[in-house]
Amino acid sequence: MTSVLDASPLSVMDVLRGVRDTRPVANTTSAAGLRAQLEDGIFDVLGPKLLDTPLTIRTSSLRVNVATINLSNSSLGQVRGILITQVLRLLSGGVPVEHAFDESLMAWRCDVGDNELTTYVDQLAPDELARLSTDVSAHSVTLKRSLGTLSSRWQPRTSLRAYQRLGGGNVILRDVIDLMVGTTASHEASVALLDVTTSPLGEGAERVLRYHALVQTLRTSTVPLRSSMFSTATGELWSCDVDNELLARGVDDVLGVLRAMKEMA
Amino acid sequence: MTTLSHQRLSKHVLNRLIDDAPSDALFLTDDHRRSLSARFRAVASVEHRRLDAWMVERAGQPYETFRWSPATARRAIGNAALRRTLNDPALTNFDAVDIEITDQLLRYAAGYARGGSLASWLSSCSPTVIGMVSVEAANWATQLGEAAEAIHHPWIVATSDAYYDVARARTTLRGRRDLVVTKGLTRTLLRMRAGAPGKSAGPGLRADLTIDAFADSSGLVASRVIGLWPEAGVVLSVDATMDDLRAGARDLVRAAVALGRHQLTRAA
Repeated sequence: MTSVLDASPLSVMDVLRGVRDTRPVANTTSAAGLRAQLEDGIFDVLGPKLLDTPLTIRTSSLRVNVATINLSNSSLGQVRGILITQVLRLLSGGVPVEHAFDESLMAWRCDVGDNELTTYVDQLAPDELARLSTDVSAHSVTLKRSLGTLSSRWQPRTSLRAYQRLGGGNVILRDVIDLMVGTTASHEASVALLDVTTSPLGEGAERVLRYHALVQTLRTSTVPLRSSMFSTATGELWSCDVDNELLARGVDDVLGVLRAMKEMA
Repeated sequence: MTTLSHQRLSKHVLNRLIDDAPSDALFLTDDHRRSLSARFRAVASVEHRRLDAWMVERAGQPYETFRWSPATARRAIGNAALRRTLNDPALTNFDAVDIEITDQLLRYAAGYARGGSLASWLSSCSPTVIGMVSVEAANWATQLGEAAEAIHHPWIVATSDAYYDVARARTTLRGRRDLVVTKGLTRTLLRMRAGAPGKSAGPGLRADLTIDAFADSSGLVASRVIGLWPEAGVVLSVDATMDDLRAGARDLVRAAVALGRHQLTRAA
């Protein structure tokens, strides 16, 4: 069952967890087949030669056409995305977030120390900083209003990284799941993935949903129950149950990006 | 020949690795300890050496200045929290992490924490930063707990890492271990790590296995060490054979030699 909600749902967590009684048995057998499909496809695209530099695929590779420019990829857009992710992390830990910009900035800095983006924020003019602060606060309000109650019994984990090396090291799949709930240890499928974005949901969002599900399946050998994406820009939530068809389309998406990358090179 | 094996993470892989671990008990003797000590003594050092698997993996390059952060604090707090949830199953990982952090803060308030310690750092953090520490530690505890839940044999969260002071060589070895699984008289070590394993991950595991064996008062060697990289979905393991232990000790001595060179270069 796939539910696409164009209005902000009552609670993101309600949709993410769904109805417990209707959860299917955990699928622990599909991962090997998907990996084989990917390996065959990568061989068809890249051949047997070992590349000097591996091709890295991220969610940003799937969001937009490789040749187009997306404003959300600008430094300001990236910082806004990072800060909203920090707000989500704090909320998942039960920390009340009163001043979204200041607190998320503090959380980010303590996490990464100094880097190019933190320096970029330090060098922003006062009016740009004020605009960023207002922007983050607005997105944070949407997130807080829509997220709902997140019980610690659901084992929430945030900013989970995934890394898969394929094609003899020629291709690397990288992914970060903003929020994951549920466990791979149970007999029924219970893992739900959530990606929070500060951009409106577009055509690429569906590909990202499939990519999250695919990489999570390859990483844990267990197919997740649900993959979802929430936009703090529009309050929209897209959510889909993960099945074999969705994962097969995820494989096609990855191979499509690889072909595009090879043509560009 | 060494025994490094590479597997993909799946529900039953840890049980298979524990079941298939060598069942013959292997012991290190006083001769082995004397031999290690002699080799370290032969490597000149201007200061007390602290070596671990990470140092072996980085070919003896000294650590950059350590600073506490949510990422560096997560293992200590996460492991302690998981231990608490085992004692009290009603606790969630977040509850256990909160109790552990409160415990650290109380330790500081009571004057039991030295400067630079985790408790001392936590006491200087804002509630937001403590919130991030709590989130990171809960991530760690959940991932380790999820892996441990599937293990059929009895296991415990290691109460501390393995430390071994090499006699008269001004050297301390530290072997990291997160879970200790017992099967009969033998034990298997499990170590969870972030990121993806590099080319030197195998030597790192060997070093952990070797240090753990030296740190054991009876010299009993763990039958296997398993390295778990949940982010990459990869499991590596090294068996306890004499070849592996020799290779592990050799890598540690080489790291000490390289570290000495780095120190001399820095001093010059």
